[in-house]
Amino acid sequence: MAKAFKYGLKGITGHLEPAERELLRGLIDDVVSMLEPSQAADQDPLAALVGLDMDVRQPTDRALLRLLPNVMKDDDAGSLEFRQLTERSLRESKIGALRAAAMGLDRKELTLTQDEAKLWSMALNDIRLVLAERLDIRDEADADHVHAMQDWSQAEDVESYLALVYNFTTWLQESLVQSMMAAMDRR
Amino acid sequence: MTTTVATAIGVDVEERTETSEQSSTAVLAAPDIPWNLVVWNDPVNLMSYVSFVFQSYFGYPEAKANKLMLEVHRKGRSIVAYGAKEQVEQHAVAMHSYGLWATVEKASSAGTGKGGARG
Repeated sequence: MAKAFKYGLKGITGHLEPAERELLRGLIDDVVSMLEPSQAADQDPLAALVGLDMDVRQPTDRALLRLLPNVMKDDDAGSLEFRQLTERSLRESKIGALRAAAMGLDRKELTLTQDEAKLWSMALNDIRLVLAERLDIRDEADADHVHAMQDWSQAEDVESYLALVYNFTTWLQESLVQSMMAAMDRR
Repeated sequence: MTTTVATAIGVDVEERTETSEQSSTAVLAAPDIPWNLVVWNDPVNLMSYVSFVFQSYFGYPEAKANKLMLEVHRKGRSIVAYGAKEQVEQHAVAMHSYGLWATVEKASSAGTGKGGARG
């Protein structure tokens, strides 16, 4: 059974069962594969090197758009221009956090430094954002509705299963953030 | 897989602890600064996490971070930083890397926000 993250003498520690680790690995893989840039064959290597991507477009997938939002509310052209300059590195930093969390899952002891904990919290947040889009969580009422699903015996279809997974990652992230706050207080 | 995780879920508790709104001086009002960084509310991000990001990334004290977080939560948006365009754009990318929904806007078009107000 998973234990909530806590901050103590050994730092930030948690405990996850093999099946829970497997679940998180799967979620991480899913989000990483969404974020991996589709590499165009005719990509200018120098542009790629400095992180430019002139072929980039606003994502059509809502979940991906939530991970990589427009930087200006009412200026699509300005947002696209900014995207060309920054999206590639944003994708890479998100993938980096997700991979760091995946590596942590391979360790027997779940003891995290503050830096690792931060990467984990970013990774869990992106996982939750994607799950929330798939669950169609648009407002607080939707969120409450999903949150009410707490019993795994209720998992009878994909949606209820996703809701339970979402609540599990929410619980995990909340305990992690509380631990990071506690660690920050004692610096 | 389900049963193992089920037990974990049984432990329960996502507590979105609301820290009481503490007073913080009006640091948001500053003249002659052209761009604002706006963070928007969404039903997914944890209140604790948003506050953590404000503390961790901007180095804001807990009281100020909570105040801004609650403003996002209650009013739907909050101006959390301002400065030169390039600077707030850099902040916006950082917010996106944390998974917060952030945009930049000219201070004059701030609309509902109070950050654009001249001190």
